[in-house]
Amino acid sequence: MSSKINHHHQNDKTNGQIFPQPCPHLADFHARNGTKPFRAIQDCLHIKPPGGRAAIRRDSSEVPRCGVCGDSSCPRLYACMACAAVSCHVPPHSSHVAIHATKTSSACSHEIAVDVDRAELFCCACRDQVYDRDFDAAVVLAHTTSIIQSSKPENLRKRRRIDYRPWSPDLRERSLMVNNASPIDSMSSSNGDLPRGLRGLNNLGNTCFMNSVLQALFHTPPLRNYFLSDRHNRYYCQSKNGVRLCLACDLDTMFSAIFCGDRMPYSPAKFLYSWWRHASNLASYEQQDAHEFFISMLDGIHEKVEKDQHKPRSQGNGDCCIAHRVFSGILRSDVMCMACGFTSTTFDPCVDFSLDLEPNQGSSMKTSSTKSNHSCNCEADGMNSSQNCGISTLMGCLDRFTRPERLGSDQKFFCQQCQVRQESLKQMSIRKLPLVSCFHIKRFEHSSVRKMSRKVDRYLQFPLSLDMAPYLSSSILRSRFGNRFFPFDGDESNTLNEPSSEFELFAVVTHTGKLDAGHYVTYLRLSNKWYKCDDAWITEVNENTVRAAQGYMMFYVQKMLYYKASEKQGTS
Amino acid sequence: MRNSVNRPPTPDAVEDQEKEPTLQEIINIKMIESGEKEKLMELLRERLVECGWKDEMKALCRAYIKKKGTNNVTVDDLVHVITPKGRASIPDSIKTELLLRIRAFLASAAL
Repeated sequence: MSSKINHHHQNDKTNGQIFPQPCPHLADFHARNGTKPFRAIQDCLHIKPPGGRAAIRRDSSEVPRCGVCGDSSCPRLYACMACAAVSCHVPPHSSHVAIHATKTSSACSHEIAVDVDRAELFCCACRDQVYDRDFDAAVVLAHTTSIIQSSKPENLRKRRRIDYRPWSPDLRERSLMVNNASPIDSMSSSNGDLPRGLRGLNNLGNTCFMNSVLQALFHTPPLRNYFLSDRHNRYYCQSKNGVRLCLACDLDTMFSAIFCGDRMPYSPAKFLYSWWRHASNLASYEQQDAHEFFISMLDGIHEKVEKDQHKPRSQGNGDCCIAHRVFSGILRSDVMCMACGFTSTTFDPCVDFSLDLEPNQGSSMKTSSTKSNHSCNCEADGMNSSQNCGISTLMGCLDRFTRPERLGSDQKFFCQQCQVRQESLKQMSIRKLPLVSCFHIKRFEHSSVRKMSRKVDRYLQFPLSLDMAPYLSSSILRSRFGNRFFPFDGDESNTLNEPSSEFELFAVVTHTGKLDAGHYVTYLRLSNKWYKCDDAWITEVNENTVRAAQGYMMFYVQKMLYYKASEKQGTS
Repeated sequence: MRNSVNRPPTPDAVEDQEKEPTLQEIINIKMIESGEKEKLMELLRERLVECGWKDEMKALCRAYIKKKGTNNVTVDDLVHVITPKGRASIPDSIKTELLLRIRAFLASAAL
């Protein structure tokens, strides 16, 4: 999908809000009728209590009907702003309002009308809806005064919600609960202070890659909540689909086992077997890559769900399955032609962020400056920002990930405008943040040129709290164009609906050793304490131990989910 | 019906202007006056949102606008394109529910 970032904007921008230009007839109406042309309509704006819909009525019991044909059941009736004559509009059959519009008089033009049921402006000459700031302001004003004046509680109560009624169980319900539930006893105090949900995983033969990722997933708040609240019921799923391969069911089994309170290490043998069947190319007792396992597992969960639905759903929205709902974000890639400036943009869903470690520290030691200070573009020569004394940081890697990169002369990109291959500048940014961000550090370099692989052991500093705002598309683009607002492709990017950009670290998967002989360990953060999960051994560790560890995969969850979920065990 | 000598006089041009309201119109007016139409509209809106119909229509509109270009589409275009698809995709349960409500209203209004 490519779009032209047009400098001749058809839309007017004020205060960051897109406002379409008025049609000539609306502009004319404004000109003729002074500063507050819609004042008269305010008296006729009636807000209907149930839904708060604005309608135009002269008195509240008026039944509007078309002045020409007398029809009152037509779905679209318009009242002329000039003379209040109501007409119907039923394209393509008849449009009495259009006929009315042709009536011109010297005093006023009859081209602008308002929909009586929706309070929206319509230009009869252009035959299209038009928008006006003053009119919208009048409607909003009518809304707010109606809410204040109305004494009926119905207005304040949101529709579609039942009234709150306190409930306490009767005898039958009480016995049902007692018979089918087991109380959460205070295991935390009796069992060596380990919180609920911590259980070692036996190594079944070089399966530390799997154990480490599983431990991180067991404590991924949205995923944990999904399975523990029985959203995927393994009994129902298997009875529906027969004995079929379902990684989600096996995961559900494991969640139940991990959180049941038993402290003996668990052997995820069934899950391993299922995963081997899913990813048969990786089925062996050799050491595998934890990140590869992670991706393969998400894919396995997704695959099962997709077979059930008839409608394919986009991964970027996370509608398809829980794995994507939790981990899926959208990346934006802009490629800008160096010759003419034409930019081509694509959006791709992603389930994690694979970051390169910065190359040699010693050569490029620049003063650190954060992303938000950059106001001009073309940093292609690479200002490696936020490098303090040569230590790589996660923010540094993210800076590197989102900085503009010059595609070399051997990678010329075909420019739509120039119609030739040109040198271009590529920049990545994050269009939509996932609920849980997994950062994968590319520590294993496989060079096909030199026919060798090596591991990069360089230490990476990672924060406990991370603000992803500077890496969002909005920030990146703003800095490229100098803080100007312009419309984004695709849809209404409503920042009110966007989740926040603050994240909290909750799991770190570390790797020690060599490329072919190494060991994965996971550090989990629960109630602000750190626990080391080394296969079957779980121990509490100091925060500094974690900070000093060699991070390979870091899991961050959105701050609002973190506080709600993990602050107090047993209450979430 | 037998033709009676006492049949009413044939309407002439003058009376044509005041057409007798059709049954449909009478029902419509009665429903609006009693507030039933408003309630039914709200009920219908609620049901259509719940079953995802509104989102489907919204997606259709977006797709159409994307195809045509934001500045080449009018509201009439959209209505014209969406209406047949919209009418066809309303779930039967909603139709049934509303018909029952209307029928109940008619019974109570003694029409």
